[in-house]
Amino acid sequence: VVRNAAALVWDTLYGLDDKLVPQRQMAESEEVSADGLTWTFKLRPGLKFHDGEPVLAKDVVASLVRWSARDPMGLMIRAIQNELVAVDDRTWLWSLKKPYPKMLLALAKNNAPCSFVMPERIAKTDAFTQITEYVGSGPMRFARSEWVPGAKAVFERFADYAPRSEPPSWLAGGKRMLVDRIEWIIMPDPATASAALQNGEVDWWENPITDLVPVLSKTRNVVADIADPLGNIGSFRMNHLHPPFNDPKVRRAVLTALNQEDYMRALVGDEDKLWKALPGFFTPDTPLYTEEGGEILKMRNLEAAKKLLAESSYAGQPVVCVVAQDQPITKAFGDVTADLLKQLGMKVDFVATDWGTVGARRAQKTPPAQGGWNMFHTWHAGADCLNPSSYTAIRANGDKAWFGWPDSPRVEAAVTEWFDAPDLAAEKAAMAKLNRAALEDVVYAPTGFFLGYQAWRSNVKGIVKGPLPFFWGVSKA
Amino acid sequence: VLRFIVKRIAATVPVMAVVALFVFSLLYIAPGDPAAVIAGDQASPADVERIRQGLGLDRPFLVRFGEWFWQILQGNLGTSIFTALPVSGMIAQRIEPTLSLMVVTLLLAVSVGVPIGVVAAWKAGSLLDRVIMGFAVLGFSVPVFVVGYLLAYVFALQLSWLPAQGYTPISAGIGPWLENLVLPAIALGLVYIALIARVTRATMLDVLSQDYVRTSRAKGLSEGPVLFVHALKNAAVPIVTVIGIGVALLIGGAVVTESVFAIPGLGRLTIDAILRRDYPVIQGVVLLFSFVYVLINLLVDLLYTVLDPRIRY
Repeated sequence: VVRNAAALVWDTLYGLDDKLVPQRQMAESEEVSADGLTWTFKLRPGLKFHDGEPVLAKDVVASLVRWSARDPMGLMIRAIQNELVAVDDRTWLWSLKKPYPKMLLALAKNNAPCSFVMPERIAKTDAFTQITEYVGSGPMRFARSEWVPGAKAVFERFADYAPRSEPPSWLAGGKRMLVDRIEWIIMPDPATASAALQNGEVDWWENPITDLVPVLSKTRNVVADIADPLGNIGSFRMNHLHPPFNDPKVRRAVLTALNQEDYMRALVGDEDKLWKALPGFFTPDTPLYTEEGGEILKMRNLEAAKKLLAESSYAGQPVVCVVAQDQPITKAFGDVTADLLKQLGMKVDFVATDWGTVGARRAQKTPPAQGGWNMFHTWHAGADCLNPSSYTAIRANGDKAWFGWPDSPRVEAAVTEWFDAPDLAAEKAAMAKLNRAALEDVVYAPTGFFLGYQAWRSNVKGIVKGPLPFFWGVSKA
Repeated sequence: VLRFIVKRIAATVPVMAVVALFVFSLLYIAPGDPAAVIAGDQASPADVERIRQGLGLDRPFLVRFGEWFWQILQGNLGTSIFTALPVSGMIAQRIEPTLSLMVVTLLLAVSVGVPIGVVAAWKAGSLLDRVIMGFAVLGFSVPVFVVGYLLAYVFALQLSWLPAQGYTPISAGIGPWLENLVLPAIALGLVYIALIARVTRATMLDVLSQDYVRTSRAKGLSEGPVLFVHALKNAAVPIVTVIGIGVALLIGGAVVTESVFAIPGLGRLTIDAILRRDYPVIQGVVLLFSFVYVLINLLVDLLYTVLDPRIRY
């Protein structure tokens, strides 16, 4: 939510378009030296912050320093950085110790944290401390006086915004605002949001639940369609630190017994267009998608799974499965997993709780009997799973990895290979290796690919499908 | 009376101190971690730990409680972990919708609950009495959110008479303000109307059997003054008590009602704060609610002296 609102207020140097290609946004040009070690960037002229001050290279440098302290790609660049300096008001230079071919992707990606540009005085805030001034150079300014946290946020058109001349395409192109004001209303209850949309009290609903879409589709003057073609990848993570999932055979047994259709049906019901089986970890229908090594997920084999489990070190201990009941997705997944584990012959300690508790408990590395865990469910935005760049969940670097702390040198080697890949063919080869290794070592268990809806009043035009709501180009009759 | 008021207000201080300790302790032992919520789903364990340290959540219980309590003594409710805004400001921003909802509900409940309770007692055993008591059972039994959805479906979606959600400040005019509050007030008030009607009926039944009621009827007074002037005044103490107790019901019900009707009030602030483990906000709101509840009890006690001259403090 914060990222989506921030994309209105702050602009980025580059933006990912709907073909997933980085395009210049605030940047006018870039030059990379022949050895790939020095990047020289130039800002577009005439860019202004909402406080009227011009956007200068020193603001960009300070913003990149703040961003690179938190973002996984930023941290990689920081690790090989020689210097990052403003050369003049519009030019800055980033020199590196080794080439970083994914530089433009890092600056363009729409995964949080995005490399938003803010005034130097604000960007100098410690990277782990929240900023308190919301001054950007994006197409809308934040009306702070009207902000009711958790209930309402208001954005007003920034008259001095200088859009690019190209047509808009996701975070790239000309971000021309056709409305003067956006009122962003948070409604905790889907039924209320549905009534408000049907009644014409709101114009656009970001994420209607699947159950209510048939009602919305039948309502005159309401349109419902897929929200984000990049969708989501369902998952459950097993804790690699403790028995039984510290044994790869047990993890593979679970994967062998898993039927993704069960998970997807529990979530989206009979709507076949809303889900796909996913024999891998990456977003389907994107350039780097691969099913390499995905046989284990293509056909469920309960008998083979039981045999594998019998050969493993599993000693009948209960699996502590922590499930957030306040999130429809994790609740549905949790119920299916509990059944799956029982069919496999494992004991289940089903901990029904809320997302806040899952968030705290999954960070515990202690054994399950001492407040730790064996398994939790979540899902990943497809936009985060296009490649390894922002895909925290695929990493398997032990202690530094995401919750579950998988440790697989071959997964990490494949990730490094992708980052160093000079062209698309090399990237694809690295991705194939990565998918296979992550499945063999079972970094986590993918439960399928699923899509969600958005809905709007028919007098609203210009809404596009994308990983976040893009307000530029949207008009209201 | 003034001495009594001062004494009672002074007595709220230890009550509030106990509430403060209780709330803080409960939140301390409750599972959940605001640092994990702030860090987001993609954050690494190291990021979460760093944020936890930055927020001071890794410090011992007594240190954190002492610091927070000292702030409270200075009239500072602290800063929201999630929004970095002062808790008092967040509460001030949300108090008008909740207060509006509670006042309209209270007026609605009293103006409906008391008369139908009186009528039910007057016509005890009749069909009218059974209908009213049947309504009261329904009011008790149907959850607020079910009533809310039904009202929104009929009056917002089908008839388009009223909005399905939202809140308009009173500064925008009484009409628009009331328009947004009618459905939530009915949904929230139903249980309250039922409670008041039942207590009014029971108390009135007792009063109506008294000698002075028979005497006033014998003197030729019509039923209206007998019921609403003589009997109701003498039945008022238990009714006022239940209205006071009902404010606690209203506070609890407002949390659900504000979610169903998307009213940006204190109830939603509380739910959001609980889900995010925004401890300072939860503590601030609970303290405020406790204080309001203590004050309402004081007000009820004072009203006793007005309604029944025999009661003196």
